[in-house]
Amino acid sequence: MELGTIEREIYVEAAPEIVFDVVSSPEHLKQWWPDDARYEPTPGSTGEIVFGDPGAGGPVVPFTVVDVSPPRTFAFRWTHPADQDATEGNSLLVTFDLTPSRGGTLLRMTETGFREMGWEVAVLEQQYQEHVTGWEFYLPRLAPYVATLELRP
Amino acid sequence: MSDAVAEQVDDDLWSAIGDPTRRRLLDLLLLGGDGTATTLGRQLPVTRQAVSKHLVVLDRVGLVRATPAGREKRYRVDDDQLARAAAQLSSVGSAWDARLQRIKRIAETIQRTQQD
Repeated sequence: MELGTIEREIYVEAAPEIVFDVVSSPEHLKQWWPDDARYEPTPGSTGEIVFGDPGAGGPVVPFTVVDVSPPRTFAFRWTHPADQDATEGNSLLVTFDLTPSRGGTLLRMTETGFREMGWEVAVLEQQYQEHVTGWEFYLPRLAPYVATLELRP
Repeated sequence: MSDAVAEQVDDDLWSAIGDPTRRRLLDLLLLGGDGTATTLGRQLPVTRQAVSKHLVVLDRVGLVRATPAGREKRYRVDDDQLARAAAQLSSVGSAWDARLQRIKRIAETIQRTQQD
């Protein structure tokens, strides 16, 4: 029974440099995941990501950048206690590996650490997404964002 | 059951699975069908008393079911609760599927914009 790791792979028809920017920069991160992201995309940088409105009980989750090797690898840890350094055992490690492929990018994501830390925070965030926001929240905001990108020269 | 109670149950469930010895106990029970603290303790580098305590934790969250067996209890895995735990793992995976689809659309839009 291997309950510890999530692995996903997706092909993106865009250059690795572009995909790297989308997975690593706080400005892009909050377009595909949290509502706000505050960190410097440099190794060792600590910050936080925010889901929903913190004033209304939305989770504020610690976020620590682990590896920044453009355009190949971006890795971070999240869900560690705010007063602790992120290490194996107190946080989930997310790694994006980018490989050039057929003119685009093969993007591989692994999230590990569930076995070490239990599931509380990941499940909490998941439940928050499902019960409070969910798809009605994400889909309408994506289209306007894509439209603004298309307007750029 | 209210959402708050459901979340508490889930937290306990994942805390129970978060411990390596308890996961090993589940593995052994799945392999062997059932076991007591004594028979399971022989297969692990921990005392029978420690195994008993871990089994109580697993029982409390419903991952195992106990029936009396002499002076001990015989434990089996509760298939429904284990399936529920596995389903929650897969829902965390689904969240990543959705995130990766959004990453794909954003990156491909930028790529097309730069080519135009």
